[in-house]
This record gives sequence, C-alpha cells and structure tokens, in this order.
Amino acid sequence: MVSRSIIDTLKKTHILELLKDGKRLDGRSLEQPRELSIDISVIPKAEGSARARLGDTEVVAGVKVQPERPFPDTGDQGMLMCTAEILPIAHPTAETGPPTPDVVELARVTDRGIRESKMLDMKELVLEKDKSVIGIFCDNAVTDHDGNLFDVCSYATTAAINSCKLPKYEMKDDAPVKIEGEFNKPPISTLPVSVTMVRIGDYILVDPNMDEWSCLDARITITTNSDGNIVALQKGGSDGFTHEQLTKCAEISIEVGAKIREIIKSATEGSN
Amino acid sequence: MNSEKNRHVIPGEVIVSGNYRAEQNTFMDGERIISSIIGLSDIRDGSVRVIPLTGGYYPKDDDLVIGKIISHSAMSWQVNINSCYDGMLPASDVFGRDFSSHSDDLTSKLGNGDLIVARIVNADMTRDPLLTISGRELGKIDSGELVQISPSKVPRLIGKRGSMIQMIESATNANITIGQNGLLVITCDDSNGLIKAINAVELIEEQAHVANLTDKVNEMLESKSE
Amino acid sequence: MGGRDTDIVLLDENGIRSDGRKINETRKVTIKAGVLKNANGSAYIEFGDNKILVGVYGPRDVHPKHMSDTNTGILRCRYHMTPFSVGERKNPAPSRREIEISKVIKEALEPAVILKQFPRTAVDVFMEVLQADGGTRCAALTGASVALADAGIPMRDLVAGCASGKAADTIILDVNNEEDQAGQADLPVGYMPNLEKITLLQLDGILTSEEYKECLKIGIDGCKQVYEIQKKALQDKYFATGGNNNG
Repeated sequence: MVSRSIIDTLKKTHILELLKDGKRLDGRSLEQPRELSIDISVIPKAEGSARARLGDTEVVAGVKVQPERPFPDTGDQGMLMCTAEILPIAHPTAETGPPTPDVVELARVTDRGIRESKMLDMKELVLEKDKSVIGIFCDNAVTDHDGNLFDVCSYATTAAINSCKLPKYEMKDDAPVKIEGEFNKPPISTLPVSVTMVRIGDYILVDPNMDEWSCLDARITITTNSDGNIVALQKGGSDGFTHEQLTKCAEISIEVGAKIREIIKSATEGSN
Repeated sequence: MNSEKNRHVIPGEVIVSGNYRAEQNTFMDGERIISSIIGLSDIRDGSVRVIPLTGGYYPKDDDLVIGKIISHSAMSWQVNINSCYDGMLPASDVFGRDFSSHSDDLTSKLGNGDLIVARIVNADMTRDPLLTISGRELGKIDSGELVQISPSKVPRLIGKRGSMIQMIESATNANITIGQNGLLVITCDDSNGLIKAINAVELIEEQAHVANLTDKVNEMLESKSE
Repeated sequence: MGGRDTDIVLLDENGIRSDGRKINETRKVTIKAGVLKNANGSAYIEFGDNKILVGVYGPRDVHPKHMSDTNTGILRCRYHMTPFSVGERKNPAPSRREIEISKVIKEALEPAVILKQFPRTAVDVFMEVLQADGGTRCAALTGASVALADAGIPMRDLVAGCASGKAADTIILDVNNEEDQAGQADLPVGYMPNLEKITLLQLDGILTSEEYKECLKIGIDGCKQVYEIQKKALQDKYFATGGNNNG
C-alpha cells in the first residue's frame, strides 16, 4: 500500500498559487498529460508485453495466454482477466502483503476498462464450446510511482494486448494442444484509453503527478474507445464534483484520449 | 430581537440566509446557514444554533459528568465518561499536591468500577479531557441507582430552570444527580419513589420531542399505580 | 455488464420495462431509521428487492492506534454481502468487489461527514446486504447516510444514491438486476442534494458523449427522489409525534 504522502504545506501553497495562473509545477498546462513512451515486447517469454512510462510513473504489463475451461454460463466465450499490483520497489511506502483497497480498486478499474470496451471479441476465443476456451491474462506491475497509476496501467495493458500473439491450439483427444510456431492475431476491434483528472479547488488537471495527487480534492478516471464513446468511469477521492465539472471531464477525456490512442497505435504497429 | 420560530431540521437543511452568526451544529455555505445534525433550530440575537435530538456526549469545560473508573496508571485514573474520549483524573486531585507515587496507592481511594461525580476541567480534544472531583457535591458515589439516557435528552430532563427535574424530585422524594453525559444517579429512601423516578426519566427520554411532555410526566407521577 | 442474451423483454412497445416500470421511474424505496439497539445509529432500507441493514458506531476509539489521525476523526466503511443474499451462495469472506465498493462508498460519504472536531476517533459504517437485486451500492449508500444522521454524526448534507443506465437502446432510471445483466450500461450515482455535488460516480458499459450527459442528468433526478424518502425516514423517527412540524 502506498500512503498518500503528506505534502509539505509550502509546496501545496505553491501549487495552488500557480493554478490561479493556469500553470503547474512542472510547467504543463492544466489539460496536458505528461510525456508518454511505450515499448512493446519487453518480456519475450510472455505472449505480449509492454512497458509504459508517463512522466516518472512506469508500469510493465505482461500478457499470458493459456487454454482454460470456460465459465459455466458463457461456454461460447473466451476468458479475460486484468490485474495490477504495486511492487515494493515502486515507492518508499509501498508494502508487501495482501492488496489494500487502493490496489484492489486499481486492478478492477483497469480490468473494467478493457472488458467493458469490448476490445477483444470473446466469441472468437473458443477452442471447443463449453469445454475449452482461450484465456487471456494481463497483469500490470507498477515499478515506479509518480502518480496516476490508473492511466499508465490502462496504456500498458492496451498496448500489451494489442501487440500480443495468440498461440494456435488444436483439440486432440478432447484436450487443447499448442501448435508450436503458429500464432494468431488477437481479435481486436477498438483501443480503450483512460484519462484521469483531479479536481484541486475549482481547477481540473489532467494526469496528476504524485505532488498533485497528494493535494487532490476528488479524482475521476474516464475510459473511452476508438469511437470516442465512454466505456468506463470511476470517481474517487474524499470530495465531489459539480454536474458541470463532470460534463467537462467527459469532454476532456475524449479529446486527450484520442491523442494518446495515436501514441499507442504507432508503438504497437506491425507487431503481430 | 425576538427568537424566530424553532423548526425541525435534518443535516443539509438550510435554516436561514443572510447576516447571522453560525453557532453550534451549523455551518455556512455562502450566505446560507445550514444544519449539520437532526435537531431543533434556535435563532436568537442574530445567531443560529441547532439543539440536537440525537448523538453522543462530547466533553465541554465545566460540564458535570458521572464517570466510571476503568483503569489507572502511576499518576492518574482513566475514567469512562460515556464518550468517545475517556476522562483523566490526576492522582493529585485526590491525594493533594504532595502526592507521591511511591507512598500513595491509587487503588486505596478509587478502584475499577467505582463511580464518581466529576467536573470537566479542560476539554481540549487533542488529549483526553481532564477531570476533577474536589469540589462541592463531587466525589465517589457510594449508593444509588445508575440510569443511562441519551445525552441529547439531558436538557429536556432538567427542564426550564430545572423545573422538570424538580417536579420529579418533589413528587418522589428522590435525589437525582444528572451528568451532562447522559448518566444519572438516583437515590431514594422509598423504593416506590425510586421506581417512579426511574419511570419518569424513561418517559422523558422516549418522548423528549413531544409537546405537553410536562403534563404527561405530571400525570404519571400523580397516578397511584406503579 | 453481462450483456448476456436473455428472453425477457427489457422494454416493450409501450415503453414499459420488464418489471412494469416506466423508463424514468425508480423502484419502490422504503427506509426506516433507528432499527438497531446497540449501534449508535442505524437504518434499514428496501430498494426494490434489495434489502440492506446499516449500522454506525462512533465516533469511537481507533485500534490500532497508528491508524488514527491527530487532526481529525476518520471514516471507515464496510460493504458486505451475506452468503444468502444472491442466487448462488456467496462466500462470506470479503471479495475484491466488496473491497472496492466499500472504498467507493466511503469516498461518497467523506465529503458529507464533518469529523474535524473528533480527532483520534473513527466512525464505522457497516452495510450488510441481506438480499441483492441490482443497485446495491446506491441503496447501501442511501441507507448509510440515514444511519449516520441517526447516530448524530455532524454532516454537511445527506448523500442519496440511485443508478441510471441504458437498456434496449434507451436511457433508463434505476437499473435492476435483470437490466444490469442484459443491458448496455449502468451508471451508479451518489449525490448531495443541498450542496449539489456528485460524490459517487462509476460506469459499466458503453455510452456516447450525449448518452452520458442524459444518463447523468436522469441519475441526479433519481437521487433527488430518493432524498425525499431519506428525509421522511428521519422525520418519522424524530419529528413525528406532536412537536412543531416544519412541513
């Protein structure tokens, strides 16, 4: 668990002063995210992988693919599961042990962003109906924490899944067997991208770093797909938003999300 | 300025707007003064407060409270005063200024489970509230029946200028010590009087918000049945 | 969102939903304040077929001590489903879903409660779902606000909860379990009516930008309707017999 750092009052005052002029500590404008870099196939043994770095926050996502028994009521669909954990190396206050509510929330929001967007056509991932399906697992490991884990996990996961290679299987004696050296492209129809915004006073900031995270009043993460539709949303933090602020946040998430989507697209081009 | 009519309010309800002072259990949102609890609004002399109808006891300076000793250290007793904060009674309050932890044994005066009538000397929330039992009508309680009611009902039990509690005492010949923290001790030589007094207290707690409560209590006290 | 194929008709040609409701109608909601003896505050809420019991303790001592805050009281929330509350028996151990919902509800209530005057203490809110039928987190949040007020915890406002969503290509109010399974989107909303702030907001499903705006508006309207029932529950317990009614 990473405790919200107690920010020193001088820094907080400075942040609030700058906001009045529409500026931030690191020189960005309010609606500007940090620089994003994405490298794919960083873990060759995994079926897909990506390292996403947004400012100083870094996440490594690995995709593992394996045959699974389907859930009883969805025998005609493959399985998808996304997780996230904050490694103890990521921050001085990160601890080992069972996941705290913060981390549970991070994992579930990441999972929902991919699942609800219908990024993958789950019906294309069946080996034998009701018996054997393809399971896709994407696990995010936060290696460096400078705020806004929601977005970095989203980008790493989208990039890793978009660039993964699905092994081919054939059924032999009712059991799936991998055909070595043969792969399929994953059935992808859209690229979900999340944008996290925080409210500090009356100001909305996109992609908060750790300092800004430490003085947020409320936060919201909105995930959009390639059509510019909203597929997932999560409000957090100890305060609320006005109706107008929530409308504005949706508009920002569509605009900023589109730009980020282009970065992910070019990073994963031609990978599978 | 006359006090405006009192109103029942719940948290978030606007009491008044404009040039008023926001006092207990209210807060300001722009020009509006809003209640933060369930209670009765009370506007007088340009200030607004809400009298609570529910909630626990929060120690205030000079409050009379009834407490129970629950533990002690070398220098003080820890006292349960029916609040989220325990009271602290320094040993010097009982043994005097020459108190020495070597020669004076705290348990010789007060032990776990003993009840005391105390006054709050200092209720600064960053530390446990400080108590004293040196004073008139303060000290260890040796006899009587302990009754507990919701602290928010204490003002109703006392009544305007003590009228309600005096009515009960004279009708039953009981002596009732009321702690602001909702604990009371009732002593009475006559067991019927004791029971009547306890019933009266319970009636008030149950119906504190009802009009003509005074008449109902009077009626109950005057009836011959138990 | 399940997006599961279903035989039930979510919306018929007269605009009536599978349970007989119109598209902007909430299920029946009843709330009773002060139902438990030991808890400092409590409430029982029925929201459609959801049955939830909430108990509040506090402000009270915090254990372990290092969790307490010397500046202010803290709020702790536990949303929990009983094993018999859902179709297939649920393991009593807290699931990740319950942990997340507990956190989301806590963050929906924190803007409302005023705990600065109770340093080093905690207010504990326990929400037990006895029977679930879609929209439990909004119902639990609604009950929790009433229980907190019943306990005398100072609050800036009550928080009312209601979900809106989309089913059969139509924006609807208060999604029940069937609609959640087979529908297209579910947007739970938590709202403080007097301060006009949204403190709980999540989305499962796909909405266009326009649909999101409509859904949010309808959800807020639903919360305002639920607030009237919260108010009534508190008035019934505290102001009902005699005394002056503020109307």
